[in-house]
Amino acid sequence: MFFDPTILQSGQYHDWLVQGLVLSIQLTIVSFAFALPFGALLAVMRTSSFALPRAIGATLVEAIRNVPLLAHLLFWYFAFPELLPESLREVLYANNPEVVCAVIALSLYAGVHMAEDIRSGIRAVPATQLEAARSLGLGRVAAVRLVLLPQALRASVPPLLSQTVNLWKDSSVATVIGAAELMYQAARVETASFRSLEAFTFATLAYLTVSLLISAAAHLFQRRYPVRTA
Amino acid sequence: MFNRRHLILSTFALAAFAGAGLAHADQLADIRKKGQIVFGVLGTDEPNSFIEPKTRQLVGYEIDIAHAVAKKLGVKPVFKQISVAARIPELQQGHVDILAASLTHNKERESQIDFGLTHFVTGSKVMVRTASGITSLPQLAGKKVVTARGGTQETNIRKAVPTVEVVTFENTQQAFQALRQGKGIAYVNDESSLLSDYGKLGPAAKGFTILPQSIGNEPMALGLRKGEKGLKAVVDQTLRELESSGAAERLFNKWYGPGTRTNFAKRSFTIHTDQI
Repeated sequence: MFFDPTILQSGQYHDWLVQGLVLSIQLTIVSFAFALPFGALLAVMRTSSFALPRAIGATLVEAIRNVPLLAHLLFWYFAFPELLPESLREVLYANNPEVVCAVIALSLYAGVHMAEDIRSGIRAVPATQLEAARSLGLGRVAAVRLVLLPQALRASVPPLLSQTVNLWKDSSVATVIGAAELMYQAARVETASFRSLEAFTFATLAYLTVSLLISAAAHLFQRRYPVRTA
Repeated sequence: MFNRRHLILSTFALAAFAGAGLAHADQLADIRKKGQIVFGVLGTDEPNSFIEPKTRQLVGYEIDIAHAVAKKLGVKPVFKQISVAARIPELQQGHVDILAASLTHNKERESQIDFGLTHFVTGSKVMVRTASGITSLPQLAGKKVVTARGGTQETNIRKAVPTVEVVTFENTQQAFQALRQGKGIAYVNDESSLLSDYGKLGPAAKGFTILPQSIGNEPMALGLRKGEKGLKAVVDQTLRELESSGAAERLFNKWYGPGTRTNFAKRSFTIHTDQI
């Protein structure tokens, strides 16, 4: 049969593909959970009035952003663990290093891109907001946390959701370090059954569906919480 | 319309077919009468059968076996070079008497032709970290094994050890690197590549061991036309004698053993069965 949809509906190949889809979603959610605070921290550093955090922030962003994701994954999987002390390395190797290293690479990569989006959001908040907060007696940290960031994040939501779609799609690159996500399982089905058409159709539709769902969520969010103009 | 003429024609056809069958009923007698036996060989597959560049002679492991079969029959061996895809048709159409052409014996082919005793076994093997203490395949149960994606290795290791955890990479070198770094306990590759990988380890080689068991065996055998019991008996007898006299072992070492390009440390099989 040219295209046999039954292997996608049930059986072993179906199970593999679903397992891959679940891991892809998990990779995205966990990486997002690390990337967003990391990005926010970098953005605050980059907009700081002190030179040192600005320099560190800028260095990190440029160093991570200018290396391809594929190189990141291979570095964090093949090179980074070799730099760890023996005991830590053993702990890592005993605990699914493929997934852990994929999360590290994806979080950093998505994080620096989010940092730039949040930085733009921060710059969109008029400087007078921070001055007003300070003059009302808020400390430096409280002013940033309670006044600056909420407005900045709201302005950053559209590009951040776009980064989330990228993160979801980028999770497919984790296949190169043996993380058993969706692309990995699709290739596995192909090897075992020679049904590449079905396997990659499943993967394509799954990526498309989840990407569209994230975009729809972004659209709804923007309708419910439009960016306020100051 | 089916008339009497068709009936007569088909009777003749049937008779001719049966006659042809009868004429070839004993291929062994034919070969002895002609005084020669025709082997279908690839001639391009070192070290099984290939042209030696210096002497321009057809030589190889399977060529030596073919010579032994011809000697046992007391006839002259004739070698006919054929292509991989043409092997089974050439045999079935009677252009060659026996295939000695790197032919893998598998279930699918058993319905079409018969096979002699398995005279070579190749397949995937497993390299483990010596420190893991693993000395046999069953001990890999539940352990993490690394290999390349897309080949038969993953399927083979899962067949050999169903509960094994397999992690695959884009190519064998990445998988091998993962083993060296300790990300998996074992590494699967086909035997000759595995030996070459092992060679690359240099002094670090003592930290790694290649398990003796093959997985995903590819048994090779001579191919015979179906039902030629007389010829098959002679072929199998020849192979058994090669094995019992130690000549088979010597042939293996001559073409595959230490110091050859393939450089197998030792033979992992004996010639004893035509079952797969």
